Amino acid sequence: MWGRWSAATVFLYQRRRVSSGTSLACFGGGWRKMAGSKVKQDMPPPGGYAPFDYKRNLPKRGLSGYSMFGIGIGIMVFGYWRLFKWNRERRRLQIEELEARIALMPLLQAEHDRRTLRMLRENLEEEVVIMKDVPGWKVGESVFHTDRWVTPLSEELFNLRPREELLHKRFGFLWYV
Amino acid sequence: MGRNAVRSSQEHGCSLVSPGSLVFKPIKVSSSVLKAAAHHYGSQCDKPNKEFMLCRWEEKDPRKCLEEGRKVNECALNFFRQIKGNCAESFTEYWTCLDYSNLAELRHCRKQQHAFDSCVLEKLGWERPDLGDLSKVTKVATSRPLPENPYHSRPRPEPNQTIEGKLEPAKHGSRLFFWNW
Repeated sequence: MWGRWSAATVFLYQRRRVSSGTSLACFGGGWRKMAGSKVKQDMPPPGGYAPFDYKRNLPKRGLSGYSMFGIGIGIMVFGYWRLFKWNRERRRLQIEELEARIALMPLLQAEHDRRTLRMLRENLEEEVVIMKDVPGWKVGESVFHTDRWVTPLSEELFNLRPREELLHKRFGFLWYV
Repeated sequence: MGRNAVRSSQEHGCSLVSPGSLVFKPIKVSSSVLKAAAHHYGSQCDKPNKEFMLCRWEEKDPRKCLEEGRKVNECALNFFRQIKGNCAESFTEYWTCLDYSNLAELRHCRKQQHAFDSCVLEKLGWERPDLGDLSKVTKVATSRPLPENPYHSRPRPEPNQTIEGKLEPAKHGSRLFFWNW
């Protein structure tokens, strides 16, 4: 038993030595080969490999955090400035369009007044014709107790006209549904 | 509903408005034409326009402002006659450019506007008013007197008479429900 154990240890020892020998061979040793075998192996070139970088290379590059924030904020401020400038320009354009409306309002109001009065006149004349046989009917009597001008309703103005004229008056310029 | 609510002839008919006075020559132009000429119209026909609007605002009655409305109409007709006589082509180009879009935005037609403005300036001597000039508040001088009681309101009740004699506080307080102070 002692012999076997010692043989085993010697075997193991020899084994280890052989492996260290082969590792030395990786580094260009080769002075220790496996006992008894001449095998063609893939070995490093004579003189060994050239040295190479194996350490970590994480260079510090790029902008710092502060400067990145600064650039972002700078871009935002530039955007705001451009937006405010354009908004002021839009306000000027809107004022111009509203002034066009202001300039035209007397003309449109005068024409609208004349049209209303003309329609009321025509309605009155029709009423005289329609209600001439009704006893006790005062033509053109006001339904209000006051005698000031009351703006007539569209239904009242367009009463004797085709319905599509009333619809056009009420909904002709409506954009939404 | 309509038959009962027609205005009376005594109110708007014979005494105030005769049918002849409602005969006017309408200005047959479309909205883009009006908008194209609006700024110049506002500065040229300023006086009758402002008088009409003042009359309308004060009297609150369209029947009383027909004369001023007639002056507005005449001024507008003269204005468009002058443009048609002098600067017709540049004006046509301007309002057709405005007519192209649905909203008739003035900022898309600046080139034609400059052409029209320069033509009008050299031929008629009209200057386009600056931004904000047309929306300024103006004072209008009229010979028409200020109407009293434009709303035709009934006479207001007289104020209470002043109480003669010495006033004392109530003997048992306000006597509202249970309060005796």
